[in-house]
Amino acid sequence: MRSRYKIAAALFATLAASIVLAIAVGSENLPLFSLDAQQTEILFDIRVPRVLLAAGVGASLAAAGAALQSLLRNPLAEPYLLGVSNGAALGTMMAFVFFSNFEFARPILAFAGAGIATAVVYKMAKSRSGMSVERLVLSGVIVTTFLSSIIVLLTSLLDAAKLRSFTFWLLGDLSQASATGFYYVLAAAVAGTLVLSSQARSLNLLMIGERDAFDFGVEVKRVRLIIFTASSVLVGTAVAASGSVGYVGLIVPHLVRLAFGSDNRLVVPFSAVAGAAFVVLADTTARTLIAPREFPVGAITALIGAPLFIYLLRRAG
Amino acid sequence: MLSGCGSSTEKAAATGRTFTDGLGRTVVLPEHIDRVVSLAPSVTEMIFAAGAGDKLVGVTTYCDYPEAAKQIKKIGDTQTPNIEVIAALRPQAVFVTTASQIQGFMGKLESQNIAVFVTDPKSVKAVEENLRQFGEIFGTQTAANAEADKLSNRFAELNKILQGTTRPRTFVQISKEPLYTAGKDSYLTELISDAGGDSVTKNVPTAFPKLSKETAVAMEPDVIILSASDDNREPNEIFRNSTAVKSGRVYSINADIIARPGPRMAEAAEEMARMLHPEKFADNKQ
Repeated sequence: MRSRYKIAAALFATLAASIVLAIAVGSENLPLFSLDAQQTEILFDIRVPRVLLAAGVGASLAAAGAALQSLLRNPLAEPYLLGVSNGAALGTMMAFVFFSNFEFARPILAFAGAGIATAVVYKMAKSRSGMSVERLVLSGVIVTTFLSSIIVLLTSLLDAAKLRSFTFWLLGDLSQASATGFYYVLAAAVAGTLVLSSQARSLNLLMIGERDAFDFGVEVKRVRLIIFTASSVLVGTAVAASGSVGYVGLIVPHLVRLAFGSDNRLVVPFSAVAGAAFVVLADTTARTLIAPREFPVGAITALIGAPLFIYLLRRAG
Repeated sequence: MLSGCGSSTEKAAATGRTFTDGLGRTVVLPEHIDRVVSLAPSVTEMIFAAGAGDKLVGVTTYCDYPEAAKQIKKIGDTQTPNIEVIAALRPQAVFVTTASQIQGFMGKLESQNIAVFVTDPKSVKAVEENLRQFGEIFGTQTAANAEADKLSNRFAELNKILQGTTRPRTFVQISKEPLYTAGKDSYLTELISDAGGDSVTKNVPTAFPKLSKETAVAMEPDVIILSASDDNREPNEIFRNSTAVKSGRVYSINADIIARPGPRMAEAAEEMARMLHPEKFADNKQ
């Protein structure tokens, strides 16, 4: 147990260090302790909001991934791979097209999209004999491609120029962080993680099996509803703000389990902490590597995530 | 064609004329051309400007200028032209802007004896040369050369007007969110210079880079020019404290005339010059 405290301390230190690093570097060289007016603007209106948004998005996606994996007893359950992110993306797009004047339409419809996608994938993957790893992954593939084709269709049907920015955004892009927009993402990340963590004991029992959990007094349906709702809120707000940053919910919980074991009381909250650090670092790479140009952060997370996915799939099979 | 693949090329070579296209390829074109297809709006504009618009039998859905281009048979868009529609039009040649655009069916076209000509002028000089070459290809030298001379004269005239002026630091915003601009490899950088400005993004690699907002703020543009489209009607929020926004020097320009290197380049340069140096055009209302 004592070593866990050490790991936890190290994790928080890593998060703090990545945030400091991310604030210290960027395409412009800012002397942090003697800023002129313009540099102050660059730091506080552009860089800091983007770093904090990255932290919120990373925490949300990782915590949602960790909880879904335990609930579905599947190491490959991940918002992006299950099509949940695409559901949120479609919702955001609808908000963009039909309610462009109403700021909160985006996260609300993104949440709805994520929720519907989650429910559909779950229904599709569930069979009388249970839910195999492959069946869930395949259901995710189907939902993802189906939603992608709707998104592409909409993009072609609607005014192309209006939705041009979406192609970039679909890959996961944090450059659209506004000076204030990150607040609700951070708030949702904290609240959602707390809700998921409150179900950690039930999740631990569910990992053994739904029937066993039921025998131990877990109200399976209620827990499932809470987890699905909370993770949809997390994914919805993250996607509405930054598009679909993939694989975060796969990579981070996997590493956290290597460090802490599989107790969800630790895995869920620490996935949020590690996820924040991970996306902050990934986005710092995305915006500095070819500065002053940038590439989407989703490209980096996928570059790391896809090989890990293959490894986990081979091990699960 | 009946006597086999090899000899058909030889026959074409014997009866046709050879031209060097934009990629440096040698392309054999028939002596007399009266049926061609254009796979890009800029090429369509060039062919019309060269006085050969009546030879176009197929264009893309984006080809909307000049007005007469709208009446020509559509063969799909630039990215996904329909090969069957093109073949059915029995053109003698297909004009494209990039090799990648046609890689998929280049062989198919050439096997049907349809020549493929690549052209993508990236400067005023190249557009001029391209016009003269089209004149030769279509046998419309008089019209094409006149158009090329007109283009060249308009730029010379502009250059004279702008002599001795200081060059405002100019930022071209292609897309507001995410923030895209025109970089080193875009002919827009040269066009801004012709219009008497200095592109602040002239050293950023690639033609249309996605730019760091931090750098965009630090570039301190005096003037912002928006490529007009629904999602690009105002400068990105990060420019709110820039000299350009504070002094109200934000302008919008027809996206088509700056996105298509062609005969309307002079129009684009003159319009931008009026934005950058209104004092020089006091008598000439916009």
